[in-house]
Amino acid sequence: MERNMPKIVCFMCNWTYCQEELHVPSNVNVVRVMCVGRIDPIIVLETFANGADGVMLVGCKPPDCHFVDGNLQAERAVKVLKKLMALTGLEPERLKLFWSSPLEEISFSYLAREFSEDIWKLGVSQLKWPESEVSENILAAKNAASDFRLRVLLGREEELTELMNAYGEKISQKEFDALLDDVVKAEFIRHKIHLLTKTKPLSVKALAEKLGIKPAAVLRHITNMRRKGMIALDRVEGTTPLYKALEVK
Amino acid sequence: MTAIPISEKRLLPPCRVACPARVNVQAYVSLIQRGKFREAVEVIRKDMPFPAICGRVCFSPCEDACARVNVDQAVAIRALKRLVADIEREQGRVTPEPIPKKYSEKVAIIGAGPAGLTAAYELAKLGYPVTVFERMSEPGGMMRYCLPNFRLEKFVVANEIAYIQDLGVEIKTGVEFGKDVTLESLKADGYKVFFIAIGTQKGMKLNVPGEDLEGVMNAVDFLRAVALGEHVTVGERVAVIGGGNTAIDAARTAKKLGAKEVMILYRRSREEMLALPHEVELAEKDGVKIYLLVAPKQIIGENGKVKAVECLRMRLGEPDESGRRRPVPISFSEHQYEVDMVIPALGQVAETESLPPEILSKDKRGPPLQVDPLTLETNVPGVFAGGDIATGPASIIEAVGAGKRAAVSIHLYLRGQDLQKGREEKVEETTWVKNWSFIKKKERRYEPPIEKPHLSFDEAAEYLERTKQKARFEAFRCLGCGPCAECLASMDLCEGDKAVVDENSCVGCNVCAVICPFEAIKKNEKGIAQVNEDLCKGCGLCAARCPEQAITMKKLTNEQILTLALATLRR
Repeated sequence: MERNMPKIVCFMCNWTYCQEELHVPSNVNVVRVMCVGRIDPIIVLETFANGADGVMLVGCKPPDCHFVDGNLQAERAVKVLKKLMALTGLEPERLKLFWSSPLEEISFSYLAREFSEDIWKLGVSQLKWPESEVSENILAAKNAASDFRLRVLLGREEELTELMNAYGEKISQKEFDALLDDVVKAEFIRHKIHLLTKTKPLSVKALAEKLGIKPAAVLRHITNMRRKGMIALDRVEGTTPLYKALEVK
Repeated sequence: MTAIPISEKRLLPPCRVACPARVNVQAYVSLIQRGKFREAVEVIRKDMPFPAICGRVCFSPCEDACARVNVDQAVAIRALKRLVADIEREQGRVTPEPIPKKYSEKVAIIGAGPAGLTAAYELAKLGYPVTVFERMSEPGGMMRYCLPNFRLEKFVVANEIAYIQDLGVEIKTGVEFGKDVTLESLKADGYKVFFIAIGTQKGMKLNVPGEDLEGVMNAVDFLRAVALGEHVTVGERVAVIGGGNTAIDAARTAKKLGAKEVMILYRRSREEMLALPHEVELAEKDGVKIYLLVAPKQIIGENGKVKAVECLRMRLGEPDESGRRRPVPISFSEHQYEVDMVIPALGQVAETESLPPEILSKDKRGPPLQVDPLTLETNVPGVFAGGDIATGPASIIEAVGAGKRAAVSIHLYLRGQDLQKGREEKVEETTWVKNWSFIKKKERRYEPPIEKPHLSFDEAAEYLERTKQKARFEAFRCLGCGPCAECLASMDLCEGDKAVVDENSCVGCNVCAVICPFEAIKKNEKGIAQVNEDLCKGCGLCAARCPEQAITMKKLTNEQILTLALATLRR
């Protein structure tokens, strides 16, 4: 029984619980970081890619944070990560953000056990299945998470929604969420295309089939990617142009 | 560890700047936040030896300076300090190892009050053999003999002094300076340096007729007699004259000893009272009556005993040199209070008879000793003086500050270095908060109990747990105004971690500057982000968000976090 327990990685803020108070189940690996907002989305995706069944993030309950609003930053990252995970086919429930407070009645060990139980119900991470499509997707998600556009948007959420942008406009939270949704989707698909065309040149039609979206949408992405220097025309077979990924940076 | 003077200008939070002993408030509040109570006490002990005493009776200038007042209320710094010190004492203090004597010069400290003991503590930490001479039978000075047990328990004082003794400080009690030992006899015994911290022990006189009547007892003498356990007869109706903390203490003690009616007569109004407002409230709760704007004219006696105090009404005039409004008597306003005991509590003066005449100041009106305010030197080389004796009656924490300064001076003197050079503290008060309206309001979450509850064994553990939680919750109210506070917590994780920008990959997108809660990252003229290491607290939010991944942390990098995370997965 013990051997089959899901493997869980827990990133925990240094200021929430004290080491002495922790009674950690053996399947949970607790990693202390300065603030739960310290966790880069890439780190979480990498952890999944390396075989974690679930990831817990534990931070201080707002409005208390040793670093003013690091916990809210974590909340934003989790929001984006869940969207990305949904796109890859990995269950977003495998990632969960917990708030803790000194006055909390529920202990950490209880939370960890409960989370293990939930993950147990979901089963082994698809990333561990042989020849799973998700493995490739998670790589695309990782690349998307390290993409400039997505990260700028993520980093500037507070500035854009609560203050104003360079043009003196203020974006409502709803507008921002819609924007973020689009960007996450677009970046994920672009990086997926990039990965697919890396090994051999592919046509728009073939890509559209693999990705399950309309060829017109694929073409739009490819146009964008050509402008950014991510992809180039390899050759034309008959009347079908084939595209091949370029090395980025 | 050492109290070596601070050379360059340092950014410090307001609480630490306000504290005369420069206690690292932000650090121990941070540690309480993490639930590291013992480490918090250790951090306090780095700066001063009396966490439990100051947690009870300090007038807490730190709380007055706390930047949180701009939002709601100051953080309950004193209460938190008291709690951590009490928890440590009750759960058993770890006896520290005596500090090896690095130097051979013997130091004599006269007076085992807060100033003398702090100096002894700091010098012992530096590695000097220190001996403290105390006239009374127990060390502690005013902390033991003037503060009543209900404000500061004797065992608390004893415990804190025992810590100092554990470090290797020798305390000789029952030795009176000027009688049993003198400067000459101590010099003959091999003492090189002297620190005189005898404080102000004599209560000031009322200077009204009838002061010699039976039933007039000075507040200091009264409190000392009670503390010594002597038989003190308290009258039925007691008048305490004065408005300082001593007056309040004397009044409350008299009430607790069984006086039917206790009144405090004060010649100014309530705003001018020097006593802590909180203490005044407690006294009133105890049933002490406070009469304001009255001053005694004479004490009327009958058969050599006190019968009544005749008082004059006062009104407030122009402010005097202390900044408080001077009381002006109203003519023909005499009235009497029928009492059988009068306790004058007008302040204290030093007993200068025991001091060698050469160090006394010529000016009779000022303080009896003239010392350099910075180095605490007297006009005799090798003799230093500080605490109440040099400044007039002040507070414990100011005496602790004086003791620390004296220790640094003595160290420099014995090492043959310049005492003045670099002593001027270059500190700058700072807080990262620019806009107070962004800070969310949080009301105080912890207050110390006025009376310790009586609990059974099972309840006690639960009570302690609940109190700890509340204290941690309260500690979260701290804004952490200053830069990284160099607490002991840094040892296990952040170690003063700072962000580093890779200038070649920075594109100047400004995300880090937006993310940083403390405005530690700014773009320079080239448009490249630069980290101000004084302000950076090492949270790493910028490293987690940098779009080009150009920012890394010095210690805990992304790769390291990942390695830690994957450590168990690969097994």
